[in-house]
Amino acid sequence: MGFPASIDELTKTIIGGVIGFAVGALIIMLYGYDPISAYQALFNGAFGDLYSFSESLANATPLILTALTFAIGFRGGMFNIGAEGQLYLGALAAVAVSFFHLPSAMGFALSLICAVVAGAIWSLPVAILKATRGVHEVISTIMLNWISQFLCFYLIARILVDPQRAEKTISVAEWTRIPLLVPGTSLSYGIFISLFAAIMVYLLLWRTVIGFDIRATGHNPLAATYAGIEKWKIILFVFITGGLTAGLAGAVHVMGRPPVYAIYGGMPSIKGLGFEGLAVAMVGRNHPIGIIFAAIFFGGLLAGGRMMQLFAHVPLEMVRVVVGIVVLFLAIPELVKVFSFLRKIRTLFIFRSKRS
Amino acid sequence: MQGKGNIILAGKGLCKGFPGVWEHLILDHIDIDIKAGEIHAMLGENGAGKTVIANCLSGFYSLSEGQIYVKGKPVTLKSPRDGIRHGIGMVHQELALVKPFTVAQNIALGLPSSDLSFPLPEVENRVRELSENYRLYIDPLARVEDLSAGEQQRAEIIKVLYHDPEILILDEPTSLISADAEYLFEALDNMAKLGCGILFITHKIEEALEVGDRVTILRLGKSMGTRETAKTDKTELVKLMFGEHTPVHLERKPVKSTEIVLDVRNLEALAEDEEPALQGVSFSIREGEILGFAGISGNGQSELAEVITGMRRATKGQVIIHGKDYTNYAPREIIRAGVAHIPEKRRAMGVIEPMTTAENVVLKDIRVPPFSKGSFLNKSHITRHTKEIVSRFGALVSDLWKSQTRILSGGNIQRLILGRETWRMPGCLVAVYPTQGLDVKAIDHTWELFMRLREEGSSILLVSEDLDEVMALSDRIAVMSKGRIVGMFEGGEATREEIGFMIATGTSKA
Amino acid sequence: MNLAYFWGIFLGSLHAMVPITLTATGEVIGESAGLFNIGLEGIILLSAMTGALGAEAGGPAVGLLVGLGTGLVMGLVFGWVCTYFKGIQLIAGVGINLFAAGLVTFWLIHLGVPGHHAVAAESQMVNISTPYGDFSPMIFVAITLPVLIYILLFRTKLGLKIRAVGENPQAADVAGIKIHLLRLLSTAAGASLAGLAGAYISIDWLGSVTKEISAGRGFIALATVVFSGLNPLLALLGGFIFGFFENLAVWVATMPAVQKIIPWQFVAMAPYAVTLLVVTGVIGRARFPAAMGIPYERE
Repeated sequence: MGFPASIDELTKTIIGGVIGFAVGALIIMLYGYDPISAYQALFNGAFGDLYSFSESLANATPLILTALTFAIGFRGGMFNIGAEGQLYLGALAAVAVSFFHLPSAMGFALSLICAVVAGAIWSLPVAILKATRGVHEVISTIMLNWISQFLCFYLIARILVDPQRAEKTISVAEWTRIPLLVPGTSLSYGIFISLFAAIMVYLLLWRTVIGFDIRATGHNPLAATYAGIEKWKIILFVFITGGLTAGLAGAVHVMGRPPVYAIYGGMPSIKGLGFEGLAVAMVGRNHPIGIIFAAIFFGGLLAGGRMMQLFAHVPLEMVRVVVGIVVLFLAIPELVKVFSFLRKIRTLFIFRSKRS
Repeated sequence: MQGKGNIILAGKGLCKGFPGVWEHLILDHIDIDIKAGEIHAMLGENGAGKTVIANCLSGFYSLSEGQIYVKGKPVTLKSPRDGIRHGIGMVHQELALVKPFTVAQNIALGLPSSDLSFPLPEVENRVRELSENYRLYIDPLARVEDLSAGEQQRAEIIKVLYHDPEILILDEPTSLISADAEYLFEALDNMAKLGCGILFITHKIEEALEVGDRVTILRLGKSMGTRETAKTDKTELVKLMFGEHTPVHLERKPVKSTEIVLDVRNLEALAEDEEPALQGVSFSIREGEILGFAGISGNGQSELAEVITGMRRATKGQVIIHGKDYTNYAPREIIRAGVAHIPEKRRAMGVIEPMTTAENVVLKDIRVPPFSKGSFLNKSHITRHTKEIVSRFGALVSDLWKSQTRILSGGNIQRLILGRETWRMPGCLVAVYPTQGLDVKAIDHTWELFMRLREEGSSILLVSEDLDEVMALSDRIAVMSKGRIVGMFEGGEATREEIGFMIATGTSKA
Repeated sequence: MNLAYFWGIFLGSLHAMVPITLTATGEVIGESAGLFNIGLEGIILLSAMTGALGAEAGGPAVGLLVGLGTGLVMGLVFGWVCTYFKGIQLIAGVGINLFAAGLVTFWLIHLGVPGHHAVAAESQMVNISTPYGDFSPMIFVAITLPVLIYILLFRTKLGLKIRAVGENPQAADVAGIKIHLLRLLSTAAGASLAGLAGAYISIDWLGSVTKEISAGRGFIALATVVFSGLNPLLALLGGFIFGFFENLAVWVATMPAVQKIIPWQFVAMAPYAVTLLVVTGVIGRARFPAAMGIPYERE
């Protein structure tokens, strides 16, 4: 229960994926490159060897968390795209703790806690505005994302700046860093933090009362009220929890990503993680298990993208193009019905399962 | 113009079913004909199928079976546009008006003129003209949302008249404008004199007799026959509308307790469209008593149930449960106070369709032990409980945790809801149309259940359009009309006729 | 402080107003019909790119046309997905944003200098020079278009139909209006204006294309639409207000005296913070078409 057990969901994701790659191949061809070698390099670079796979998992680590932010919101019937702004602040909060020279265990724990709290605090205005004034979270989260960005620019340039190298923040203290899982790669034990968070969210949504209430509200707010669920509580909980995971994403990234363990001005390494998380959530059908797989897939695409760029000379941004198209098609609820020939295959499946 | 007396619109063997939602035909082989120059009334209770047949005749719904004839020629109507083309205009009960627009703008919307045109001046003039001719006064420049319900209805009628229909169908046109009904009747008379064929749908017997030349009675989707109004009377019509048979008397001990469980005082509330729905309702229900609200829906019964259960705001008055004031409290509190609610909209409010059977059965109880331990769900207990409810109430479900509740039939969903709301023997049960769509066995089971609850001391507020049901179950019967209680009967004393009369006319048999 | 100073700020604000007003006016049409297009950001970005390339191929007029066309195509795709396919508008819009971001970055790399493409000077729009600064013809367009759209929406039958479809599609259906088609065309028309805005940014105002060139303007336009209450004339005003704040940030950045007191980052925040405040204040009063955001199905 709780798993996207229906063939429908999986089929839909696969169709979306196929269309996305097909259009991507088209664009690649239009630019004069060879899609076959491009995609080959892509998949090799993603899952071809231990190094590639480690890089894929490293990429997946923060994506799982930001995807969870969106997914929790989605399950509650809300569109939380504030992960971007929340994760910036989470990352910087974790960095800030390194200013104080604390014993390693305490420093480590405090960094995570501050990051998580920072993310949660940044999501509070969204929740409050929605619950009290009915402000649509799409507009409030985007505005707060931009405000967070500039705030962080300031913090990076003036407050948290590294005295020796002005273009970045101070590095996270060595004893506060997350140790590497596979030496020589970017993969740290942070991946376990992400997986743990995903499992927690799964348990939250399907094994607790509040999770039940969230899902009920997302499906049918009227019936949820009838059942005694209080909407404002749900709004607050959903956004704060989303803020927690987004803040954690920022922390896990900066504390676990060699070689510098810091944030550069302009935040190039964490920019976009929020929106990519959104795509991961969509492809993962807003379910923690699906998100884990989707995140690994995406992380693979990003890692493999570099290979694709190196060997087939196709810029890795093509990966993002494919993603955009996939999400676009996944917006169609009855995607499977749209393709009538697939409908026949679908009925065949249902027939089989009914007979058995 | 069509010669008077000729049949201008006819339907033969009309059938309509909504598969999956209803378990019986909404329209069951109906024959009807309307002559040019006549006003033909269609009479029946709610659920009889009046609105459905009107929608079929105007093209908004498609027929499952049967054939429509316009001026003798068979036609197929695929959309309201088709209807208009054939000269059929329909005034809907639920007005098809765009609220922020003016009357003229609403009419302009349906005109075939060019998109870049600005037809408003022309429309405004013609509206004033029509207003004068038919004495249905309306200001074309008024915004619909600023108009009273009666004026809105007038606007809707003018909108339809704008297209010069030869056949006019009106669905309960006086449900909102009884004070101005005279104007409408005059206007209709004029139109009929000019050769229009008019189908006038109503549940009010007096209206049918006053306005109609002939009247057809509908009951549960079947036609009970057509009479000429000059040759029939109220009594006969009541019999045809409600049927005549002896009401079921269930074994009951008299109500022992005098303790009042639910006390409603001077309750006022607004409906969805901001019009008053409850205009000062007061009553009380004792422990172990069933108070049944009989009558046509749309007179405030739904809003009453919603206010009591916390789903709608009361603008004035009080809802007192076990002596404590619970007016405008959140549903959560009211549920905790021991009030169970079998809602009117079972699919939209009573269950969460995308969720599973087990989840829906514990929808309200999940918050308390033993269904949850602390914050965590106790799945084994939930499963056990659901199994019990499912078997006790005879719901046919394929599995408890895998399929969506959406796929269940309306009857099965209702069984789940009944189980969920009654298993705790609630102190107070608000049941709104609880047996709608259920088969005879399930209805019996439900009646038994309610009587048992009554024995154990539950107070039940029952709202039902099935007069048999209300009479069988209730200790007292209330009849609501336009947001007020217009009559209260003792269960054993009133006859079907008396109650039926009050429902149909809003007054008692003098 | 002299007149030239204020005139300079005023002109700068007008320039900044153009993309926001154009996009917001377009979205007013779309939202009046009931579709909420969050993909505007991506459309602006994409048309900035295509418009620039079009201008380099055939001159500024072609560039503007190409930008408009790009918006039209994207609008048709979005509209089709959300009407006939009953797609979830918010997600489809996000898909467009991701697609555009990826494609533009990809394109920039392909064109040689990753991240930045300066539009050749001769391809840029010719502005009218005044003693205080350049004045672009597009400013005229941005001022007259809302007026025209206002007339369309509130003084023609077509406008009635559009607004009816957004407000009460059932009533419109009964009146014989083709709901899906009208919604599709409305949102496509709106997206075309966003496309025009994008082209303006790259070939007229800022003269270059980067992957950040849209800078959240699509979303600010959405907020402007809320502010306007679906009145194009108020969208014009809103565009000016937000343009003013955006421009102010640039001005402040060039004044060292102010820099010492307020770091540039906080001024850069201003447009977004103001937007948030305005939306919060206004949203209580704002009245949206009753059927906006809901895919339509006839029973």
